[in-house]
Amino acid sequence: MARMKFLCDADRCIECNGCVTACKNANEVPWGVNRRRVVTLNDGLPGEKSISVACMHCTDAPCAAVCPTDCFYTTTDGIVLHDKDLCIGCGYCFYACPFGAPQFPTTEAFGVRGKMDKCTFCAGGPDEPNTASEFEKYGANRIAQGKLPACAEMCATKALLAGDGDLVADIYRQRTMTRDSRPQTWGWSKAYGAGA
Amino acid sequence: MIGRRVLTAASALALAVSLTGCYEDPDVTVYDPGVYKGKEDPLLAKLEDPEFRAELDERFDGQRDR
Repeated sequence: MARMKFLCDADRCIECNGCVTACKNANEVPWGVNRRRVVTLNDGLPGEKSISVACMHCTDAPCAAVCPTDCFYTTTDGIVLHDKDLCIGCGYCFYACPFGAPQFPTTEAFGVRGKMDKCTFCAGGPDEPNTASEFEKYGANRIAQGKLPACAEMCATKALLAGDGDLVADIYRQRTMTRDSRPQTWGWSKAYGAGA
Repeated sequence: MIGRRVLTAASALALAVSLTGCYEDPDVTVYDPGVYKGKEDPLLAKLEDPEFRAELDERFDGQRDR
């Protein structure tokens, strides 16, 4: 069985924010919530690197470990999803996540947190796939349609790869061999363990 | 006589409406650590379909450099 992973090739990312826009557009993410964002290191200096960051769908997800209502579940493909009907918006997952993936809409008065929102690998949630209720709560379910996550599909330079870990690693290995560089699998050891 | 009946009916209605707020759903979810007790995701069953899986794998494989 596949284990779905994201990998951002920092040597290819040109900080166009196409992935961010694609995610926002595909999932109609509300203002103030960023399921995906591009982080640039050493911005403006020679050798700057940009990385597109979202939920990494960790093997042993820390968000799921700390959730008091156990609203997280992992699909057979390793996609970490959550049930918004169980989420109480406590924010524990936000503090536990090393990637800052969980987001909380503040649409109510006095900054009251709403239910947690995060990248779903475009796999929706536990509602019936591609229904209005699922879209409203979780966004698009492109996986159920046999498609890639919108961010990876829209990446102009194919810096952002999504899919089975073996496939993604194989593509990345071929690239690093071709350009004779060192692999920089940012976030992989933290998300998938030291051996990944 | 009629006034008393109307008063009684109105009081009963007011009591019923006011007590509605005191209702508590007896079906509570008792959480067990690490056990997901939400709805079953229909996508899980779909991912078991070999035809769908092959279609999905082909799409993912399209990310290779040409």
